Amino acid sequence: MAEIDFDGVTKIFGVGPPAVDHLSLHVDDGEFMVLVGPSGCGKTTALRMLAGLEEITSGTLKIGNAVVNNVLPKDRDVAMVFQNYALYPHMSVAENIGFALKIRGDSKSEIKRKVAEAASILHLSEYLERRPKALSGGQRQRVAMGRAIVRSPQAFLMDEPLSNLDAKLRVEMRLEIARIQRLLGVATVYVTHDQVEAMTMGDRVAVLRDGQLQQVDTPQDLYDHPVNEFVAGFMGSPPMNLVRCRVRAGNDRIEVDFGDQTIELPWHYTSSHELPASGLDVVVGIRPEDVIITDASSPNTIQTRVERREALGAEILVHLSHVDPNTDPSAYAENARADISRKASLVAKMGPRVKITVGDVLSVQLSPEHAHFFDAATGVTLRKRSR
Amino acid sequence: MSAITSNAPRVRRMTLRRRRQLSGFLFALPAIALVIGFIGVPIGQAVYYSFTQWNGLTSTWIGPSTWTQAFHNSNLWTALENNALLLLAVPFALGLPLGIAVLLHQRVAGWRIFRSIYFLPTAISWVVLGLVAERFFAYQGTLNSIIHALGFSHVNTNMLGYESTALSALGITFVFTMIGTNTMLFLTGLATLDPSLEEAARIDGAGRWRIFRSITLPHLSRFIQLAFVMTVIALFSALFSLIFVMTGGGPGYATTTMEFLIYQTGFNQGDFGTAALYGLILFVLTGIVGVVQLRLIGSNE
Repeated sequence: MAEIDFDGVTKIFGVGPPAVDHLSLHVDDGEFMVLVGPSGCGKTTALRMLAGLEEITSGTLKIGNAVVNNVLPKDRDVAMVFQNYALYPHMSVAENIGFALKIRGDSKSEIKRKVAEAASILHLSEYLERRPKALSGGQRQRVAMGRAIVRSPQAFLMDEPLSNLDAKLRVEMRLEIARIQRLLGVATVYVTHDQVEAMTMGDRVAVLRDGQLQQVDTPQDLYDHPVNEFVAGFMGSPPMNLVRCRVRAGNDRIEVDFGDQTIELPWHYTSSHELPASGLDVVVGIRPEDVIITDASSPNTIQTRVERREALGAEILVHLSHVDPNTDPSAYAENARADISRKASLVAKMGPRVKITVGDVLSVQLSPEHAHFFDAATGVTLRKRSR
Repeated sequence: MSAITSNAPRVRRMTLRRRRQLSGFLFALPAIALVIGFIGVPIGQAVYYSFTQWNGLTSTWIGPSTWTQAFHNSNLWTALENNALLLLAVPFALGLPLGIAVLLHQRVAGWRIFRSIYFLPTAISWVVLGLVAERFFAYQGTLNSIIHALGFSHVNTNMLGYESTALSALGITFVFTMIGTNTMLFLTGLATLDPSLEEAARIDGAGRWRIFRSITLPHLSRFIQLAFVMTVIALFSALFSLIFVMTGGGPGYATTTMEFLIYQTGFNQGDFGTAALYGLILFVLTGIVGVVQLRLIGSNE
């Protein structure tokens, strides 16, 4: 068991932009670190450098306290679970799990004991004599896990291990992998593009984009305090609403223009956020669950029209567009019959019993306490670092 | 309308199973006819002619005397022995291509050029290859030039000129003619090997040799079996052009294989009856080899 330390690690394939760009990341002993990001963000490359399957262009990579930049994969004492499991097709489940031990030169009885132990943790004991071909997807996944845990390595590396499973099994194995990791207490780096996996499994989550680390935080902090527009939009499903607004300040009031409507912000925002000067743009972020239906008389509401409605059973996603408050709402209701769907600019997440149909005109409140503000040019959060 | 249909004689419906069997048989019929016409009939003829004195025009029934004579003919045994000795070339005809394929698969520098070079012999007629090999092994040929260039000017080889070495020269030539095909076959096999298996093995602690033995070789086993079958069949039935061009079966009978013996007996000695018998023997031998190979392959999967 050991900690892992990326220090300015960079990978450049041939010519072109770096696949991983000065990545500095520390994984504590026993920690479950999730690397998440869209495809091509460099997360898998980072993991493969850690495994020793890709050379490091520059920077230092440490496992334990040893620099491993030029250490062969076989000497790194890490175990990896591949996306396609990479089970050896001509070996039985027991041989697959015991392969590393056999190479290491463990005695036959020792291998047998360890394989049996790993198999019982993974509920694979009945299948030890089978070939991978005769296993279901979930069982293969377990064998891949077994091959990793049997070695008691310094670190587990997992490359999208659940992406080939169906949805139900994925949820099951998500819990299972997290359970085993906590049971064994081995530092784990887990790569995924699925933000649900990232949120539910990681002790901490590192968000990457274009090879650059955006933010490392606990899942809740990442969700509550994204450092930039990208992280805000990436974490959470459906993603955060990001709307470009104009700031108007003066007379102890600070407001943002939301289309042709205005929302007043609590004054204390000026102390917790570095809001731009009056007349400049800002990107306001509102999570779908923070868009709340109210009656039109409440303050700080905006008028919207329901463009689309997606019932997911436990919740309803409502796609809303702005409505000019100076127009008679009934005119919009007329338009609804023409079934012209305009571009929605807000998504709201509502309870399953809310009675809403397409074309309804709703007053919604964007709870300002939960709003996020990002620089309109750079996308960086305007929240002042208080933590 | 309905009266007409009900009065019409009932077509006796066969069971679904019977109908499928029948249509299966009907579909197979052309193939069966071709097999009988082009394989069965000639074999039958060969059996018949092996009991006759046949000069290509007239045949006289002479009974099994051809058979008894043939088995006392030392040439037959020499040819069989030569065939058996040539089998020693098979491991090389498989091993060399395997090594080459593994190297090319590693994408060594210039692998594209090497791939073309190794595959080139496959596109060249074996007659041409035989001529090249003949020049290579000749007394004033390439091999001796190389040896002399290396500084051994007193050494002179003439492998095709001596009974003791001619068969080896033939075997070496055969290995080279097979390299292209087998290398391609193994490269195809390697291309279907999931690279993450090798990566998994590297992380599991395996070195190069271990990966080759435990991952690559088991994956290639089917391809090796196929290459083995093809190589042995080529050895028994495709060496004719090489022998004809390089040695003409000599010196003496040193490079006469069964295949070449059939040709010599039939066309040089005009004894088609005996040639037919030799053909049968070769057919049976190839058949045995084929069955044994099928068993070996079948037992694995």
